[in-house]
Amino acid sequence: MSGLPVSGPLLLAIESSCDETGIALVEDGRRIHANVVASQIALHGPTGGIVPEVAARAHLRWIVPVLDEALATAGVTMADVDGVAVTYGPGLAGSLLVGVNFAKTIAWVHGKPLIPVNHLEGHVYAGWLLDPGEAEREEPPFPLIALVVSGGHTFLVEMRDHLDYRYLGGTIDDAAGEAFDKVGRLLGLGYPGGPEISRAADRATAHNRVFPRAWMPGTYDLSFSGLKTAARRIIAQARADAGLSADEREGDLPDAAVAELAWGFQDSVTDVLTTKTIRAAEAIGARGIVLGGGVAANGALRRRISGEAEARGIAMVIPRPGLCTDNGAMIGAAGARRMAAGLRAGLDLDARPSLPLARPVAK
Amino acid sequence: MTARPLIIIDTATTHAVIALATAEGMLVEQRRWEAGYRHGEELLARIAGLLADRGIAAQDLGGIVVGTGPGAFTGLRVGLATAKGLAHGLQIPVVGIATGAMLLRAAATASGANVHQLVLVQPAGLSDRVVSRGGEASRILPGGTDADLGVDGRLVAVDLAGRAPDDATALGDAAVAGLADALCVAGAARLAAGDTDDLARLVPEYVTLPRGVLMALPDDGVVVSGGRGSAP
Ligand SMILES: [Zn+2]
Repeated sequence: MSGLPVSGPLLLAIESSCDETGIALVEDGRRIHANVVASQIALHGPTGGIVPEVAARAHLRWIVPVLDEALATAGVTMADVDGVAVTYGPGLAGSLLVGVNFAKTIAWVHGKPLIPVNHLEGHVYAGWLLDPGEAEREEPPFPLIALVVSGGHTFLVEMRDHLDYRYLGGTIDDAAGEAFDKVGRLLGLGYPGGPEISRAADRATAHNRVFPRAWMPGTYDLSFSGLKTAARRIIAQARADAGLSADEREGDLPDAAVAELAWGFQDSVTDVLTTKTIRAAEAIGARGIVLGGGVAANGALRRRISGEAEARGIAMVIPRPGLCTDNGAMIGAAGARRMAAGLRAGLDLDARPSLPLARPVAK
Repeated sequence: MTARPLIIIDTATTHAVIALATAEGMLVEQRRWEAGYRHGEELLARIAGLLADRGIAAQDLGGIVVGTGPGAFTGLRVGLATAKGLAHGLQIPVVGIATGAMLLRAAATASGANVHQLVLVQPAGLSDRVVSRGGEASRILPGGTDADLGVDGRLVAVDLAGRAPDDATALGDAAVAGLADALCVAGAARLAAGDTDDLARLVPEYVTLPRGVLMALPDDGVVVSGGRGSAP
């Protein structure tokens, strides 16, 4: 059926859980018609992290222009839309409130159903998305393992069907993305740390640096705080060896050393994430693995996990980097499944900053 | 002038206010409720209820007047996001009006005092307060036990029950009760004059921001991708 247009419901999907204002139009939970994202990275760069009040105000500033741009890009009006999907958790309370209340009002004014979506399942369902003009391809096959890795979340779930999540394990302390940010700072690289470390690691010519791995034996849990501590110690030693003070603001390590350290750190994270994911996939007899979340944009992780899955005949689905970071289209993909399952929200929908990922139940 | 009614929304204080007004700024009905810091669950349902009880469809509305603060983070986000959704969805104009100035005006009306003799105080976090006077920028007053808050003028204390003198709290209650009326008058005048706000740029005024954070966000701090003319 390659090239045939899909013909399911068209959802307007709104994502505002963190520091990206994303609004998309997605047809049948797969085909992207528009996916506009206002990213606040440059706004938060000077503070080296997200300031919640600034993020919420930027959402308020950008949500209307992003909606207009999404509708114009897709060439549709609200009359063409069959439902409004919105992230209602988890995330920053103030950021979520903007998207939730805007979405509720838009849905009410236009008489469209409102579909509440969990941000985390959005990251999983990014694996179902097709870009405009992209050829049809198979959906990720069940049963599958989904690994979601981002600045705020790192966990593994088993899915035997749509919207059916069994939590296998996750980080017991920091998210992997946080560790990237922290180590990026220690190496004198910019914010966010993920892409910076990836670029630096690609320049490494020596690959001898070994950072520790926290295996958390017998579980699918993960831990990155020990790695962060070890990285601080290893980088301090490298600075001492280079005749620099321990304060990373006082002079930069030579580029070759930064590259080698970045590679070693990234290799530790990649090794643990890949090993745990493959182990989980083998344990449940998974036919597919879906990778999602901002850290899934990391090239080394993508290559490593794809290679291991391929060697075992497991279908590997990794969205392109722009669909791994927060965006509205992923909410539209998950929202379509929720809509098909009869899930609707009322006008009393509120933000749920600590919403867990669990099978949703229609009210 | 059309006869299409206006909707008024203010969520800057712990008492949310919605109202219907004529295009000329006559208050038709106001509804207030104790929202605390959870405005999000009720605001839209209350607006829908008010319109339904009055037999008015959302599509009949001719404009939106929304209070922009200063006030607490949660309420203002909910109020502004809802106002923007209404304005965009209904394709009608919105005007943002400073809640602080309207509270002072309402307190002046209630007490017979000149607005310039009044000083509005609101909570900012657990112990600080924010002080607003007519025609001046709001400023933060660090927490303390000083009963008169060390401010020159008659106090209008909003959301400070037990943390301000009783007469100041009573005048604050009167100000909140008169807020919808003040917003109606000021909002209708601006709408009639065509002095409406840019829907995108309308943002609230918070009582306080973390140290070092600018009130005005630079537009170039945000990068928009995925639209027309850029790769998806
Ligand atoms: Zn995310």
